[in-house]
Amino acid sequence: MIYLDNAATTLIKPLPVRQAMDRALLCMASPGRGSHPPAMLAAETVYDCRCAAAELFRVPEPEQVVFTMNATHALNIAIRSLAGPGTRTVISGYEHNSVTRPLAELGAEVREARGRLFDARAVLEDFERLLPGAELAVCTHVSNVFGFVLPIYEIARLCRERGVPLIVDASQSAGVLELDMARLGAAFVAMPGHKALFGPQGTGLLLCGARGKPLMQGGSGSDSIAQHMPDYLPDRLEAGTHNVCGIAGLLAGLQYVRDKGTENILRQERELLTLAIEELTGSGLELFTGAPEAQCGVLSLRSRRLDCESVAEALAAEGICVRSGLHCAPAAHRSAGTLKTGTVRLSFSPFVTADQVRTACGVLRGLA
Amino acid sequence: MTQYLIMCRSLSYAQKAARLLERAGITATVVKAPQGLSTGGCGYAVTLRKGLDEAAALLKRNGLLSGKLFGRDGGGAYREVRL
Repeated sequence: MIYLDNAATTLIKPLPVRQAMDRALLCMASPGRGSHPPAMLAAETVYDCRCAAAELFRVPEPEQVVFTMNATHALNIAIRSLAGPGTRTVISGYEHNSVTRPLAELGAEVREARGRLFDARAVLEDFERLLPGAELAVCTHVSNVFGFVLPIYEIARLCRERGVPLIVDASQSAGVLELDMARLGAAFVAMPGHKALFGPQGTGLLLCGARGKPLMQGGSGSDSIAQHMPDYLPDRLEAGTHNVCGIAGLLAGLQYVRDKGTENILRQERELLTLAIEELTGSGLELFTGAPEAQCGVLSLRSRRLDCESVAEALAAEGICVRSGLHCAPAAHRSAGTLKTGTVRLSFSPFVTADQVRTACGVLRGLA
Repeated sequence: MTQYLIMCRSLSYAQKAARLLERAGITATVVKAPQGLSTGGCGYAVTLRKGLDEAAALLKRNGLLSGKLFGRDGGGAYREVRL
């Protein structure tokens, strides 16, 4: 099998991730609920994971790291903390449904800083034009469809200058690009654990620069007499028993990313991306590519004779796993002009080899 | 006193406090707070055998001293300690 659907979930994980989860399943109970060794061991693991995330993403304090089920859960907490009916919100034109659907549900007044695909300056100019009067901004760091790297630090600077709180969706960048919470000054940064942080499905992180409003209420293991969630982090936003096995795996994943270095992971993924582009240029497939620094991890393409689902099906028959369709991001396809057809997406990880990319491209050339 | 107890806001804060103390060479352990000492129900604390003054000063400097301090006598009873 050749797995090129890493933008959805990294299937191949570092071995310590599995080992850590196995150990957690055997030895760990509920953190913050008891004082017996299995509970305290779970508590240590959970806290170690907070510290590892805080260190990797330069979050000032570990308690500002909140565990969630995934990035969607984290984004829902963030958006519902800062938006309500009529909240004037600026988003990029490359957002996932995990951003646009909560905003729509809340009845926020949304304007899109669309910009042309792979044109960071155009997106920035759109944000600059739309931010005056805005009450909230939400922006993805990297488009999950096209791998378009948005100028998030410049957007964050504009937001800070105008006093607009910013929520960053780091679903595709966490573990690949430098992500510096202190430098961003964002209200919240949301990310999954199961993509480039190599944790298992069911893990996510919300980095909190603001206090946040609980999405759920329940046991926190603290202030139990009070009938409202504690006013301090992380307890305020973490109701119920933690996914300890998942968090143990995520901790091992974070340690892998730290040891390997995001700059090396990025370089490796960009080499694979460049190789795929070289292999497919002139094949007749329509490739969505930008300048090297404007794209990472993902290559979207279309066949001129086959629809996207048929291409993905043909690849799957050859043991090549990709994702096709709208990738839960119709806004991004609208911005790029691919809403009617969708695209086929190849996405990479450090566990993908150059030979695998060449093989996949060989099959793809026959589907042009 | 045979043991000192520093009450903390939550488990995460107790863990943060204990690690700060350990880094400063003060042996500290996170425990669930004994019933009756925690005003809000369930709570966590850090226990020490010695060095309460130094520990409290360090935690205060780092914004981690938010709860009461207790000492446990030979009979097992806790008494509030004021520095």
